[in-house]
Amino acid sequence: MSIERKDEHDHESWMESRDLTAIEEIYLTVLLWLDRRLRIVDYLEILENMYYKVNFQMPKSHTEQYNLDNKFWYWYPLYALGSFSTIAYVVAAISGALLGFYYAPGAGASNGTPDLAYNSITFIMTDLNFGFFLRSLHRWSAQVMVAAVFLHMLRVYFTGAYKEPRELNWIIGIVLISLTMVFGYTGYLLPWDQLAFWAGQIGVEMSLSIPLIGEWVAQLLFGGFTLSQSTVQRMYILHVFVLPFVTTGLIAVHIGIVWMQGIAEPH
Amino acid sequence: MVVPDAVYKRVTVFSTLFAVAAVVGGFLVLDVATDRATAELSEVQPLVALAGVGLIAAGAVTYAFSTRFRADGMGNAKEETDERSDNG
Repeated sequence: MSIERKDEHDHESWMESRDLTAIEEIYLTVLLWLDRRLRIVDYLEILENMYYKVNFQMPKSHTEQYNLDNKFWYWYPLYALGSFSTIAYVVAAISGALLGFYYAPGAGASNGTPDLAYNSITFIMTDLNFGFFLRSLHRWSAQVMVAAVFLHMLRVYFTGAYKEPRELNWIIGIVLISLTMVFGYTGYLLPWDQLAFWAGQIGVEMSLSIPLIGEWVAQLLFGGFTLSQSTVQRMYILHVFVLPFVTTGLIAVHIGIVWMQGIAEPH
Repeated sequence: MVVPDAVYKRVTVFSTLFAVAAVVGGFLVLDVATDRATAELSEVQPLVALAGVGLIAAGAVTYAFSTRFRADGMGNAKEETDERSDNG
């Protein structure tokens, strides 16, 4: 005889108090039997507890706080776009790091013969185990990230989340969406196929069209006024060395500010 | 059917787990039976294919069945509405 207070699982009496069909009773009995042995729900509750400790307050939703009639719920999925962008970024980073073991940035003269960069892509796509998968994963996550970041920006704008005191984070977001697009462009040029070559040509001509500093920009980004080995090399360094550090740092600051300020409530 | 909160949690967690496993596993089995839907009709293994479809259905049924059990204070999906009955 224990003097511990009985909880509802010390006995099955609550089941008798309800009008359960045979199937329902079997179903519940099986699940409870399993959980009493595996304790999955307990572990999930520990996780839930940790979540609440990390986010040391769970404010009321704005609909509760301002007693709005509950018409805002359809916005909620759009509030996941920021984390969705982050997840896409992480997937791209991991798959990109793995691709980096096999890709080599190299371009010879532009006389139509395939170069080192293109050949390494061919190797990844045709010979490397899971290479096709890896490159596809990298490209898709990049595409998804650009789309998600853009939609995230729209959501922030149309819910007024950029307003005081969050102007700084909006500005950082503008910088981040630009960095995302530069990330995309630099990666786009790396295969050094026809698509990449002519996209690079457009980039050079766009740079050169800038008044006053155009030639300097073309030199800086593309290593000259025509495409060459320098172009691939600079795009590669931007893509795997410069942008990852800058972007990752800014994303951390961006998310950190959201964490400190809390999710914006629409007004 | 209203059940105690603790029971509701266990039903939700395990039903979801089963449903996901059954649906994913069902598609895997179906892929094996039809060689990822590329096999000729004569090459398809009907029993294995049916088992796959059955697994997917079982997952769906498990999930649907689990929604019968509700914790105290939960409404029924069919009774939910965003409209208020007092003209705002």
